Amino acid sequence: MTETGELTYRRVHRASRELLFDCMTTPEHLTRFWGPTGTTTPLDGITVDLRPGGAFETTMVNDADGSTYTMRAVYVEVRRPDRLVWIEAGVEGGMRTTVTFVDLPDGHTEVVTHQTNVPAAYLSAEARSGFGTSLDRFEKYVTELP
Amino acid sequence: MTVVDDELTLVFSALADPTRRAILERLAHGDATVRQLAEPFAMTQQAVSKHLKVLEQARLISRTRTAQSRPCALDAEHLDAAVGWIARHRQIWADRHDRLDAHLAALRGDGETTP
Repeated sequence: MTETGELTYRRVHRASRELLFDCMTTPEHLTRFWGPTGTTTPLDGITVDLRPGGAFETTMVNDADGSTYTMRAVYVEVRRPDRLVWIEAGVEGGMRTTVTFVDLPDGHTEVVTHQTNVPAAYLSAEARSGFGTSLDRFEKYVTELP
Repeated sequence: MTVVDDELTLVFSALADPTRRAILERLAHGDATVRQLAEPFAMTQQAVSKHLKVLEQARLISRTRTAQSRPCALDAEHLDAAVGWIARHRQIWADRHDRLDAHLAALRGDGETTP
């Protein structure tokens, strides 16, 4: 059950681990890409206190109606350029996000994002069979993601 | 948004327990009474009832009020909601990395937008 309770997202970028780590931890970089589609993340709404126990907060502004949502997290582990861990205490009883930077040949880096506290039942193959349509739809959705 | 988050908290903490997940798997195959649910587990009906209460509060199951045996049924709608949550989070990371790609290209100064 240790693996199945995790949501994992992998992506390879053409950049060094150091640059990618800095992109994930520097407000001037974060403001360029952090907020979900349809939102912006202004520089003055980003707090990065890059040390274990330090704050990581981003305020996202909805482009359409100007409403805001603030993600409040605390860094747990800060290890440039290997690993970055933060916890959002207020989300689903504690959402833990681990970002790992893996060195690849030719100046590429794989960024692996794990989010835990995602219920294992949704992702384990054994559990999936019985749950019927919603999991089928989820599976289809995931396989169609770019 | 807060209401939805609170509901999800209930759903996720309900699902954090392996016995409760097993109960849901059993119910996915059809409605069952407390007695029927207790059988495959080495548990008393009382212990199973406690788990059912948590699942009911998370609205992952519903229980018939009329029948004496009060059979339990899976509530697929709420399961859908939680599954949708996972899908949204995946989408957030996918979009984020798309924009990060574009940002990296801009830093390189090649104006290339990698898909």
